[in-house]
Order: sequence, then structure tokens, then C-alpha cells
Amino acid sequence: MKFSRRTATVAVVAGTASLALVLSGCSTDGGNGGNSDEPITLTITTFGTMGIDANYAAYEKAHPNVKIEATNLENGGAARDDAYAKIAAGTGLSDVVAIEEGWLSTIAEVSNAFVDLRDYGIEDHKSDWLDWKYAQGTDADGRVFAAGLDIGPQGLCFRGDLLEKAGLPGDRDGFAEAIGGENATWESFFEFGQKYTAATGKPFYHNPSFFFNSFVNQQAEGYYKKDGTTLNVKDNAALKGQLDLIVKNANIGAGLDAWGVAEQAKADDFAVYVCPSWMLGVVKGYYDQGTTGTGWDFADVLPGGAANWGGSFLGVSESSEHKEAAADLALWLAEPEQQAAAFEAAGPFPSTLKGQELVKSATDAFFNDAPTGEIFANRSKGVVAQVKGPEDSNIQDNVFGPVLTDIGQGKYTNGDDAWAAAMTLFDQLIKQ
Amino acid sequence: MTTTIDRRPSHGGLHFPDQDERAARKRKARFYDRPGWLSYALLAAFFLGAVFPLWWSFVMGSRVASDINAVPPVVIPGPNFLENVLKAFQTVDFAKALVNSLVISTAIAVSVVFFSTLAGYAFAKLSFRGRNPLMVAVIATMAIPTQLGIIPLFMLVSELKLTNTLGAVIIPGMVSAFGVFFMRQYLVDVIPDELIEAARVDGASMWGTFWHVALPSARPAMAVLGLFMFMAAWTDFLWPLLVLGPKNPSVQTALSALNASGGHTPDYSMVLAGTVVSIVPLLVLFLFAGKQLISGIMSGAVKG
Amino acid sequence: MSTLQAQRRGAGLTFRQKLSNFDYKFSPYLYISPFFILFALLGLFPIIYTVNVSLYNWDLLKGQGDFIGLQNYATTLSDPMFWNAFGNTFSIFLLSAVPQLVMATIIAAVLDQAIRASTFWRMSVLLPYIAAPVAVAVIFTQIFNQFGGPITGLLHVFGLEPIKWGYDVFPSHIAIATMVNWRWTGYNALILLAAMQAIPRDVYESAALDGAGRIRRFWSITIPMIRPTMIFVIITATIGGLQIFTEPKLFDGQSNGGSNRQFQTIVLYLYEMAFPRRDFGRAAATAWILFLIIILIGLINYGISRTIASQDIKKNVRVPVAGTRRTIGGRK
Repeated sequence: MKFSRRTATVAVVAGTASLALVLSGCSTDGGNGGNSDEPITLTITTFGTMGIDANYAAYEKAHPNVKIEATNLENGGAARDDAYAKIAAGTGLSDVVAIEEGWLSTIAEVSNAFVDLRDYGIEDHKSDWLDWKYAQGTDADGRVFAAGLDIGPQGLCFRGDLLEKAGLPGDRDGFAEAIGGENATWESFFEFGQKYTAATGKPFYHNPSFFFNSFVNQQAEGYYKKDGTTLNVKDNAALKGQLDLIVKNANIGAGLDAWGVAEQAKADDFAVYVCPSWMLGVVKGYYDQGTTGTGWDFADVLPGGAANWGGSFLGVSESSEHKEAAADLALWLAEPEQQAAAFEAAGPFPSTLKGQELVKSATDAFFNDAPTGEIFANRSKGVVAQVKGPEDSNIQDNVFGPVLTDIGQGKYTNGDDAWAAAMTLFDQLIKQ
Repeated sequence: MTTTIDRRPSHGGLHFPDQDERAARKRKARFYDRPGWLSYALLAAFFLGAVFPLWWSFVMGSRVASDINAVPPVVIPGPNFLENVLKAFQTVDFAKALVNSLVISTAIAVSVVFFSTLAGYAFAKLSFRGRNPLMVAVIATMAIPTQLGIIPLFMLVSELKLTNTLGAVIIPGMVSAFGVFFMRQYLVDVIPDELIEAARVDGASMWGTFWHVALPSARPAMAVLGLFMFMAAWTDFLWPLLVLGPKNPSVQTALSALNASGGHTPDYSMVLAGTVVSIVPLLVLFLFAGKQLISGIMSGAVKG
Repeated sequence: MSTLQAQRRGAGLTFRQKLSNFDYKFSPYLYISPFFILFALLGLFPIIYTVNVSLYNWDLLKGQGDFIGLQNYATTLSDPMFWNAFGNTFSIFLLSAVPQLVMATIIAAVLDQAIRASTFWRMSVLLPYIAAPVAVAVIFTQIFNQFGGPITGLLHVFGLEPIKWGYDVFPSHIAIATMVNWRWTGYNALILLAAMQAIPRDVYESAALDGAGRIRRFWSITIPMIRPTMIFVIITATIGGLQIFTEPKLFDGQSNGGSNRQFQTIVLYLYEMAFPRRDFGRAAATAWILFLIIILIGLINYGISRTIASQDIKKNVRVPVAGTRRTIGGRK
């Protein structure tokens, strides 16, 4: 489908090469339309720590004729590359595909690779979801090509034990208050960090890129204007201001890129981490399973106000041989109950109101028994969905990403230079 | 003590006839330096350099991840190898990957060897119009970096709906210019022209002559070529990465996914245990057929 | 015998004889055709069709767009990231090719003596060749782990600061070149050894009788005599080295050649362009630019080797060809 506008040449060569195919005895597997009780295998591709393995088992139990073949990719980037390659090929996508918010808008441009979930009744449950989450999975023509799974409200992960040693408030309310509570700004956050480093001589944070990405997500308009097509990076004073602030506070960073973060966490080399809901599982992953009492805690605060960062969706491949069954599985996985179960298992926060209600009383032993369900619910209040454009993840990863890594490494002493470097990358990378 | 390297035909070793002549010459005048202790020291150092990374990955693969930070570095294996291998198999589908790679590599090796022997025989022993220019074409194509055609090849494989199937990897690897060249060089000297003429006089068909005369003589070279092709296919990465993907991995794409599984902080022990698993099949092959590999690398000759 | 004569005269042929004639004439073409047909379809066609793709706006997901002539080439050649990748590729190539050739020659010379247990030593130098580039990259990424791993451990023992292998440009190139060197030095040593063994021993013997020492014999006999083979090794190392992909791709699995493209090579740039950045047109243009670079370097090498060959009086020099590394992705 993707190369439908191909020139005739490839088709001719492909035809000739089919001969080789026949000769070598290979064949593509034939179609297999499905009755509802016929045994079928559904494939699903996910990424990172989504916590839905237990849900598969439950679904298989309820549908004895369905076998779920799950592939979990190491991260969103790998999932993106795989999805692109398979959409381009026109075949090979799993029946159900997890899509990350960062590249959802690219998929939206070729959303006909995925079925319209309205054909499978998603509209009947529209009110389950947060409005903006549902809207994100809808393309320009009104087709709903992706069902919302989790969202990324953000709090702060912090090391209570280290803060206390530094003579600063180390309980979660005290910490939240100390950096400004509901009125916390990035300035007040960094002021607090300066105190920590002054008292201990140790870095306060690990990597500055989170502070920038969070900030971008807090803006009414991020890398794109509200129309989703006009770029909003050049001459964006807010973004430049945040970069300035980060450069000024580079002295309290660990001065390291993402490598070795687990070792550094265990060596008490930093005390704070911006934590979108999906990040909790990542921090836990630095330690052996079941570890508690590491000093990590989770606070109901985010400098600069509430914002969403990331989250995922499920799409059903148009090339699936079992669209109906696949849509049933995808929509079931996106139901509040299953979202809640995934949260309990790995931490991604539900995008449905009822799902959030279900996890309200959840606590997390690793994070000093923090009431994570309640905190994330608070943290998602007032979140306004930001319109993302097709190059959003490219800008985050390849324009500001390298500059922020360099800032972490102490390469820049003033924000103007850092901004200029980012703009150079922007001009080189982004078609304008 | 001035031994020469033994060049007498041994099981499966490759011996181009002109080498045997040289060997004969050499037997008359064998002048080899006696190695001093420095030579052995150099070889021993090189041996250690060759073995250490492999040994170290086994050591790390048998311990716990945090041992990677040990000062001085760990060199003695620990007790956790099987546990780590098990973890690796749970993280990525290594079992499927091993089977896939076995199928891919075998299919490519068999196909290349067959087509190369066929064409190599024709070039070496049959006369036909255009033989020389076509042979030059074969040699010229050896210098073409075909890897750079991946974009149209990707489109082609997509058109054929081969994405995610093993055929996507096997089909583009079915022939090799090097293989044709290699077999031609071997067969040109190893089969006497009279033998072919005689078979023809006896009324054998062309195919019969190929099957009963050429093929048996070609066996040693076929084995070596097959070995090389198997290894090349087993170790290939970029192309399987593009067309197979994570659902139907090859050993290399599975290992790559395993390596990336923990973000920037993988479970080093698990990753290195998986790496050892990915190497073991070729290690076994190497232990059994290392001599043939060496003779394969050291043989193959263009006469000036 | 009479059948044969009858055929040669071409008169009074029976059906069987006609069939046999047909068999004789066309079988050779039948035998070589599978190779040529498959190679044309799967090797040659893609390379040529790359030109076509490179002349269009061609999105990975949306397919072919407008014809834009040479614009993809212009954009690529004016892209600093392309030149960054170009520089990285040559830097890594030089850091691998030069030490590799020197080491391989030394090892070959050492093996070209009356070594005890020669098979053992030959196998031991070839051992790294069995580890796939992916495995090599995984292992060496941990060996060069800035936050642990044997090298940081050793530096620590000597009271030295860790080196930022994954972040600083030059150290990262050294790390990647080390992976290539480790895998290929022994392989090339065996090729050079074969060349050395083809040198008639009486040449050495008479030189020794004339009082030439080992070092002298090495420089004035061995090196000139194996020069064609060395050029061959350099050519294959160039073709493989300029297409290096796996090692830098895996050295930092989360990016395409480092957080700031410190070790992004041309093929990695091509990959990033084609897939994460979805621009098939520019990726195709990059492929062709690299193709031309490789052909150009190949021709220069060929020119040099011909000049040298015509100076050499000796005939029948052996040029071993071990081209397995040139099959699709065979090397990297």
C-alpha cells in the first residue's frame, strides 16, 4: 500500500523475483478469515514497561480460542523504527500495535494503516477517556485510529534520606512545600537544588533533559502551534528562557549523560528525578526486583505546574487478518479495569477517568509507600493536551537532546551559545 | 627442526594444484627461520588478546551484573551462567532466533554453494561464446558494495510481501559472485579436461557429467565455501534488522534487542550470557572445521 | 568416436544427436544463468534503482512524491551532519586499517617461521572472526564501559580518571576501531601469511648466505613480495570499513551514533535518514554518494597496484581473494 505510487519498475522486478520465490519454495502464508470461535493467534507489539502481561493471560482465559503472541520492544524508539518499517512495507505489523505519544502524529498522517476503531464501537465508550486523550487518537478526518492506554502526569522522585542528610526537608510534603508547593516554579526548584549541592558538595540532579522536556509539555503550545503543522521553535522566548535557566544551574547536575544512571543512583550521586508515571518503573528497574528502603520517595509536586509527558495508545493494523478480534482485544486492554491492572503492575497511569478512580488508593512500596494513585490523580488535574506535530520526537531527541547532553557535560557556560547550537541543529534537521 | 607447513592433502583441506607444485619446490629448499622466544611471546600475547574478550564475556555472563564494576576486573567465572541464560531467553525470543538463523544460514549456504558450483564449473570447464567477458563481469561484481542497494531491496521485499519472513533474508543472499569465482578457480585445475571429454564420449549428458564428474571433485571447495557463507549469513545484522524485526528475529537482531533491553543500564550479566549463547554455534563449527576455514582463507588464487 | 565425428561434420543427425548437440551448446548458459539472473535482480537492480529513488521526494511512509532532480544530492552534500559522518567514517577507518595491517603483517611474519604447533596458533589468531559484529560490539561496549568494565577498572587501579568512551569523539572512535581490529587482524594475518609462504624459499636462503639478517630479509624480500596481497587487503578493508554500521549502531543502542553523533558513520547516517527520519530520497542519495566514494577509492587502489605490479619483475604473484566479507552485509 505504501509504495502504491511506485513506478512500474519495482513491480516488474518484484514479479520476476516471485519466480525466484517459487523456485526456492518459499511462500507467504495465506489468509485465514475468522469465525468467532475458530482458534486464532493475535500478535501484539508493545514497548518498555507497560505492565499488561497479566492482562493477556486474563484475556486468553476469557477467550479460549485466542492465543496472544506478544512482543515487547526495548523502548519507544525501537517500536517507532519497527512500526515505520512495517507500515512502509505494507505488511508485517502486529495485529495490535502500541504507539507512543511522541510519534503518534507521524502515524496520524498515515492513519489508514490502522483500522477506524469507530467501526468496532469505540464511540460508545468515548466518555471513558479524558477528552484530550481521545482526541489525540483521532486523525484529521475524524477516524479514531488509536485507543488511549496510559498518560504521563508528572511528579518528582526524590531521595528523602539524602535530603535529610543535607539538612533539608526529606518527607514528601515537606519537600513539595520547600520547592514551592502548588506554586513551585523551575526557578524555585533550582534554588532548592543549589542549597542541596552547597550543603553536600554532591550533584542534585542527574540529567537536565527532563527539565527541558517537562517544561515544553507545560506550554500551551510546544514545538508546534495549535494547528499541529506550524513550527514554534525559532524565536520562542519561553524555550530559550528555560535553556538559559538550565545552563545557569548546570553546576548542580551530575555532569553525565544517560549512561550508567543505575550505578549513579545506587552510589547516591543524585537526589531528584522528574517522574512521569511511566518513569516509576524505570527507576525501580535500577534496583533488584522487590527492593525497598532505598530512600526513594515520590512527591506531589511539579515545578511550573501540571503537564503530561508521553503515554501510549493501541492501534489495530489494517493488514491484520483478524481485525475484529484484534480490535476487541485492543479495546478491552484499553478499558478502565485493565488500565488499572497495568498501573498496579508497572506504573503507567490510566487515561480513563474510571481507571484513575480504581487506582486511587494505590501505594508503592519502593517509593516509601507513597500514595502514587492519589498523587498522579492530583498531578493530572488541569493538564491541557498539547498539540504535537510530525517532527515532535525528532526535535526532542535530535535538536534539543544533544544540546542538553552537552549542557550536562558542562560544555556551555551561557544560554545563548546553547540556544544557538540548538538552532543550528534545528535548521539542519527539520524541514521548514 | 626446519619443518615446513604440512601441505599434503588431508581430510577436506583445500589444495589448489599449483600450491602442491610450490610445496614440492619448497620441500627441496626449505628455508624457514627458527622462531626465538620473542616470536612465541608475541603469539602468546596475541592469543590472550583474542581470547580475553570472549572469556571475559563468559565470566561476566556467569556472575551478577554489579561485578562489572569490580576493581580489578573479574576473571574467574561465577555460578550464575544458566540462570543468566534463562533470563536472556525470557527477555528475547532466543530459541526462535537460533532456529531462524540456522534455517537462514543453511539455506543461504546450500543455495550459494549449489549455484556457484554450477556456474563455476561452466566457467572453468565448458566452452561457450562470451565466456571470458562474462567471467570478467563476475569478477567486477565482486567489487560492488551491494549493501548500498538496501532501499530498493527493502521496497522489493515489501512488494513481495516477504517482510517478517525468513525468505526476506534468504532470497537476497541466494547467489554470490565471490562463490562463482571461488569455485571456478578451484575447478579449473582440479578436473582434467580429458575426464570431461571421456564422459562425453561415453554418452553422458552435460548434466550427467556435471553430477558424476564435477560434483565429486568439487566437494572440498564446496565445503569451505558453504562454511564461509554460513558464517557470513549467521553474523549479518543490518539487513535482518530491516526486514525481519523483533517478532521473527535472527540471532543478531535478538542479541541487539537484548543489549538495548535495559536502556542505558542493561543487566550486563544477562546480556553477556546471551552473547555467549549467540557465539557458541559458530565456536563449535570453528572447533570442528577451523582447519578448513584457515585453508579457505589462505587459498584461492588469481594467476597473473 | 564415430558419433563425435558425425556431430562435428554436422550431417545426418539423429534426434538423439540433435538433443545432445543442443545440450552441449546451451547447458553452459543454463548453468550460469541462475547466478546472473538472481544477481541482476537482487544485487544490480537495487543499486541502479537507488538512483531513481534519489531523484524524488520519497517519504518512507507516504511513498513516492515529486521529481526533484539532484536536490537530494545538493541537500546531502551541504548537510554538516553528512560531513560529520564522513569524517567519523574515515577516522574510524584509519584507526582500524593502519594498526590492523601492521599487526597482521607482524603476526604473519611470526607465523611464517618453523613454528611449533602452527595449527593451534593459526586457529587462535582466527578465533575472533567467529564472533559476529553484533556480539563483538556488545562485548566491547561493556569492556569500554565508562562506569565499570575492565578498562575503567584498570585505569582505576593506576589511579587514573575514567575515559568517557561513549561521549568524547576520539575515544569513541578508538573503541569502535578496536572492535574492528580485534575481529579482522587475525583473518588478514592469514591472508598475508599465505602470500609469504608463496615466496620461494631459496630467495631467502641465498640472501641469508649473502649475509642478510632477518630484519633485512623482511624489509627487502618479504615486504616487496607480498605488496600485491597487502594492496588487496587494503582494498577489501576499505570497502568493508567505509560501510561500517553494526559496531557504531550498537555502541550506543539508544541513538544513531552517539548522543551528539560523535561516532555516526555514513551508513548509520543513511539508516537514520531512511528510517527514523523517513526520507528515502536523501537516504538513496547518500547511498549513491558512498557508492561513488567506494568506487573512486577502489580505482585509485587499482591504479596504484597496477603501477607497482608493472614495476615488479616477478610474474605469477598470488592475490588471494577472500571476498566473503563482500556479500550483503557480510562484513558489517
